[in-house]
Amino acid sequence: MPTTIRIALLAGLLGLLSNLAVIGFIYFRTHDEAAATVHQQVVEQGKVLDDVYRSGGGRALDDAIEDTMTYADPQTAIALLTTNGTEIAGNLEGAAAIHRQQGYQNAVIRLRGQTTPREAALVVHRLPTGQWLISGRIAGEGFAIRETLERSLLISIVVAGLLGLFCGLILAHYVGGRINSIALVANRISARDLSQRVPVSRAGDAFDRLAGQINAMLDRISALMEELRLLTDSLAHDLRSPVSRLRSAAHAAAEASDPAEQEELLGRVIRQADALMRILTAVLEISRSEAQTGRKQFNWFDVGELAGELAEMYDPLAEERGANLELDRPARPVPLFGHRQLLAQAISNLVENAIRYGFSGGEIQVRVHPGDRQIRVEVGDRGPGIPVERRDEALRRFGRLDASRSDEGAGLGLALAEAIAHLHQGELMLADNGPGLLTILKLPIHSRQAHAA
Amino acid sequence: MGRKILLIEDDRETASYLTKGLNQEGHSVEQAANGQDGLFRATDGSFDLIILDRMLPVLDGLSVLKALRAAHIGTPVLILSALASVGDRIEGLECGSDDYLVKPFSFAELLARVNALLRRREARVDPAEHRLNVGDLEIEPLSRIVKRAGRKLDLKPREYLLLEYFARNEGRVVTRTMLLEQVWDYHFDPGTNVIDVHVSRLRRKLDEGFEKPLLHTVRGAGYMLAA
Repeated sequence: MPTTIRIALLAGLLGLLSNLAVIGFIYFRTHDEAAATVHQQVVEQGKVLDDVYRSGGGRALDDAIEDTMTYADPQTAIALLTTNGTEIAGNLEGAAAIHRQQGYQNAVIRLRGQTTPREAALVVHRLPTGQWLISGRIAGEGFAIRETLERSLLISIVVAGLLGLFCGLILAHYVGGRINSIALVANRISARDLSQRVPVSRAGDAFDRLAGQINAMLDRISALMEELRLLTDSLAHDLRSPVSRLRSAAHAAAEASDPAEQEELLGRVIRQADALMRILTAVLEISRSEAQTGRKQFNWFDVGELAGELAEMYDPLAEERGANLELDRPARPVPLFGHRQLLAQAISNLVENAIRYGFSGGEIQVRVHPGDRQIRVEVGDRGPGIPVERRDEALRRFGRLDASRSDEGAGLGLALAEAIAHLHQGELMLADNGPGLLTILKLPIHSRQAHAA
Repeated sequence: MGRKILLIEDDRETASYLTKGLNQEGHSVEQAANGQDGLFRATDGSFDLIILDRMLPVLDGLSVLKALRAAHIGTPVLILSALASVGDRIEGLECGSDDYLVKPFSFAELLARVNALLRRREARVDPAEHRLNVGDLEIEPLSRIVKRAGRKLDLKPREYLLLEYFARNEGRVVTRTMLLEQVWDYHFDPGTNVIDVHVSRLRRKLDEGFEKPLLHTVRGAGYMLAA
């Protein structure tokens, strides 16, 4: 059975049950109240007649019975019977059949002049003479309500059932419709159109949350796909020039007749091949870090010491290029739980970047700022910097800002440093060094780092 | 002087290229084409060096290495692998290998590393504090005092470590990556000539003012300290 029909039936049933409950409640309340009113009236009437008899005797009672029959409302029942039940006066047909016992009782009686027997509330009283005085009234009004109620109950059950079913159908249609729209989008996505998004209404309900999450997931997937596409594109594109340089060097070496020249050209072939390998290794390293592998090689080490070691390692190179490398790190250790080798590579990429593009004569700063929540490793240069709007591009793999750069680095340095920051749940930020570029590796310190390994 | 080298490599082309090259250097090479066979041969402990591929049929390279080390066989092991990431290299070294070389490699690089490992094995007999002499160069490892022709050289700590490493591999080619790995303990490939700058600084302090240079550049391979 389709869910739509099941939902409709369920809604119908629920509507029915709730209607039944309300009507049933009214029914019983009304009935009880009507019965109580009749009971009170009947008892009071009985008491009045009794008083009449006590004060005025048989004659007065007879008059009172006569008056009642003449003037009281037509639903009033009254009868005076002999000891053995023969009717003396009154308007009760077959009064002899009434059970003669003192007190209140319900019985079905027929009033003289009426065709159908009706239910009535009666008070039976035995007079000192041994005669029976019966008084009461047809419980007509209360019971009339009851009948009306019974009728309307029946109608309302049918209406409620139909209405519920109808609501259910609408509900099922609505739910089904919204789910269908999600399914439709999923379908189109399976058919390779990742740009599709699930429509989100303004209701903020569970469907919207679901749709929102699906859309967020899709955004992430398409971002990854886009990144992958860019990577493949740039790999295909950027490997083209080193490969063609390699090819032409090999070709020239094959053609060369002079042994010295040939050796020189072969050396170039090898250098080009090494450069290619370096690109491939860097791409591999980036994917590894982004995929969070290598966390099992995490260990405690002193970031300050590492930065110091690298600054010392690059100082001669910076000096040779006419720059002055300054190190600023705290005297005390800056412990971090991380991948020492990969962080060394990340920092060295930043420093090499600063040396390469920091323009000679400038200064290069390497700073380590320990904090409560994160350690910041900063590398600043005095080069042209990177304008704000191009910083994202600079972090992208192969994102070379200067197209003329035919450097071996192939613009992977920053992307790799960022990937390594991600491996440490951190980030790489590019900022203005006023003037120059400031690269900041933010490495969060986790209180339970050792257990994350 | 030839040494016995066990080559555990399943790629026939690489194996024959390496065997030929090592034979030319005077070493005798025995080859195993899978991990299990390699482990079996290695356990007799008669080899001076094991060259081990990482991805091998039957038993992978790292398992062979772990089994060897668990059996207390201390033969130096050089891992050859196409697994090139920093993490892979560290994993290999942590498993007990003495060196890790990424494929593709130049034969010069491999040979330099093979010679360094063979030399290190020899040097194990020598106490570390033993004085090192290369021509008129004297190195005192304990006090870290370096003299050339009796004149004391003023070296920075890293320059000293660089020179000591060269001296311990006297007469053998040392490559740039070997220096980065052994002297700095970094396992990534720098994109700049940072190592060359350090070597040329050391060379200035070492050879300037002397007629005969000690630190030589070996084209296409690296450097060599020799009298």
